[in-house]
Order: sequence, then C-alpha cells, then structure tokens
Amino acid sequence: MHTPQEAGGHGAGHDAHHHGVVVPAPPGFVPHVVAHHFDTAEAEFSADKLAMWLFLATEVLLFGGLFAAYFYYHGVYPETFKVGGHQLNWRLGALNTLILLFSSYTMAMGVRAAQLSQKALMQKMLGITVLCGLGFLVVKYFEYAAKVSHGLVPARWFSDHDHVMAGVENGHLFFNFYWTMTAIHGLHVLIGMLLILWVMKGGAKGRFYGGYYLPVDLVGLYWHLVDLIWIFLFPLLYLVP
Amino acid sequence: MSAHSAHAEAHGHAPGAPVLVTHHHVSTVAILTKVFLTLVILTIITVGVSQVDFGSANMVIAMLVAAVKAALVMTFFMHLRYDTAINNIFILSSFAFLALLFVFTLTDFSTRKAVNPIHAKRAPIAEPDTHYLWKTPRTKEHKHE
Repeated sequence: MHTPQEAGGHGAGHDAHHHGVVVPAPPGFVPHVVAHHFDTAEAEFSADKLAMWLFLATEVLLFGGLFAAYFYYHGVYPETFKVGGHQLNWRLGALNTLILLFSSYTMAMGVRAAQLSQKALMQKMLGITVLCGLGFLVVKYFEYAAKVSHGLVPARWFSDHDHVMAGVENGHLFFNFYWTMTAIHGLHVLIGMLLILWVMKGGAKGRFYGGYYLPVDLVGLYWHLVDLIWIFLFPLLYLVP
Repeated sequence: MSAHSAHAEAHGHAPGAPVLVTHHHVSTVAILTKVFLTLVILTIITVGVSQVDFGSANMVIAMLVAAVKAALVMTFFMHLRYDTAINNIFILSSFAFLALLFVFTLTDFSTRKAVNPIHAKRAPIAEPDTHYLWKTPRTKEHKHE
C-alpha cells in the first residue's frame, strides 16, 4: 500500500529524474527531455519502438484478415475476380505503386537526415513524402470517380450500368474487396500524411536531431507499412492472377 | 586516443556533449537508392509477368515477387536488419500467425480433391438472392423470434 509518507519518500529519492534526463542538442536544436519514467534516452527509444512494432503487428493482422478473405473468394469465383480486375486501370495502379515506393525512399532518407541532425534535408524529404501521399490520393480519387460512374460500387449499391460484370457470377464481390481494401489503405495514407506533417511541425522547431529522432523513426515505420500493404494490393486487385 | 574521443563525442558517448549523430545504425544513401531501384525493377517484373498466362502459377509468381519487395522494404527501409531481436520477433511473429490463418482458410481448396474424390468437383454454391438479402425489410418471422 502507498502511504502518503512512502509516496513522498519515493518522489524525493528520485528528485533528479523528476523532470527527466536531457539529451544535449547541437546549436539550433531544442534538447529532448526524456519522459520522466525512463532512466535513459535509450530506454525510452527501445520501449517506444517495441510498442510501434507491436502496433504494426496488429496492422499486419488487420490487413491479413482481408487478404485471407480475398484469397478464399478468389478461389470460389476466379472468373469474377479476373473480370473485375480488368475493370481497373492497371497503369494508374502501377503509377501509384511507383509513387508509394518513391515516398518510402524519401521517408527513409528523411529518417537518415534526422539521425545526422540535417534539419533542412529532413524537412525537404518529409515534404516530398507528403506530396507523394497527396499524389497517390489524387490518382485514387480519379479511379474512384470512374468506378462510381460505372456503378461499380460495393454491396447493395452495385448497379453495373454498363453490364461489364454481367458475364460472371456475383460481380459485386470483387468490388466489395476493391473498395474495402483500398479505402482502409487510403485512410492509412491520409493518417500517415497527417503524422508526417505533425513531425515536420516539430522538425521546423528543431526538435529532432541525432540524439532524438524517435517520432521521425516511428512515423517512418508506419509509412513504410502502408507502402508494404500496397505492394500486395496492387497485383491482387489490378493484375488479378 | 584523440581520434577515439572525437568518435565518442560524435556518437554522443561523452557526457554533456551535443549529440549530432545518432549512435544507432545510419543507412548509406547508396544502399537506400539501390533498394528503391530494385523495388522499381520488381514492380516492372510484376506487371510484365501478369501479361503472360502461366495458369495458376501467375498467383504464386505475383505473391513471391511481392514477398521479396516486402522483405526489402522491411529489411532496409524499416531497418529491421539493424534492429533488436525482440523487435524482429514481434513483427515476424505477426506474419507467422497470419500464415496459420491463410493455411486453414485455404486448406479446403487445396485438399478437397485428395480427401474426397466424389466431391472433387467444386461443391455447388447457392445463388444468393441479393434482392432479399439487402433490400427487403426484416420479415415478421424475425419479429416472432
């Protein structure tokens, strides 16, 4: 049990750590103060990074469930999926793949710049990454608009005005997967962009340098996972094997 | 000796010295660029292979190429190669658990023939009455339940 005396004694004994360890920063940067419940910056780094990987593991399982369902329905209705895939513009899908791969590259370069306290380069790389994310969503918007105009939308709203799916069973099934998977993925792109902008806000204030680049690193991991999911979505939706 | 202390300071080991360069692993621009170019080449391969009909092998090839791309992203862009063992275990275990889901979901397709030759042909799938499922309001039977 915690008596007031014990609690007071505990606080007094760790007075030096009450405001957290400071990681000395080069000129022009704001020194990072380690969260008070960590003894060292390294303890904070490894704990937060482990938590991020655990979160990414749940993301793998979130999309993994969708992929398992995709493979099952693909097995039941191979023709539906093949014809459905042909309705998508694989050139736009390939373009978006290249955009995301490039954005992952610039993200990795941004993390590298943060590790080396190269503030201007980091901001530039993160900025390019956000613009790539925006480009991805713009391409996606035009694709979505084309699908809506043809009535190739999920579930009960599936109307298929031009009867492109008339020759196969349950044509809406492919578009259930297309919309659900790309919408959840697109939401991740949007969230990733907002997170990068948030990191850039801190970056502009000089919060990230060699001694503390944790937020840049963790947001980078998130962004790479979004890229990783798309690496599987592209062939499964646009080039349906 | 002085070289050593300069090295230590640059890596933030000297107490009180500003930490300009992290003591964690820093990827070279060359390796990141090579990984990106490899990913682009693999994307071209993915598109190219999809234009040729290899039958059911198309799916296997597409997924293998995607797996190689994913491994490259995780190993180099996500730094897993230089990360701790526990972080590697965390994320790789998620793929192991996913494999369980995939294997037991897809076992039916791969073994139906072998287990029961009589049902070798795909079992008939009931045609769902989409109108009933989605547009008809709940019937009285449901209210009685």
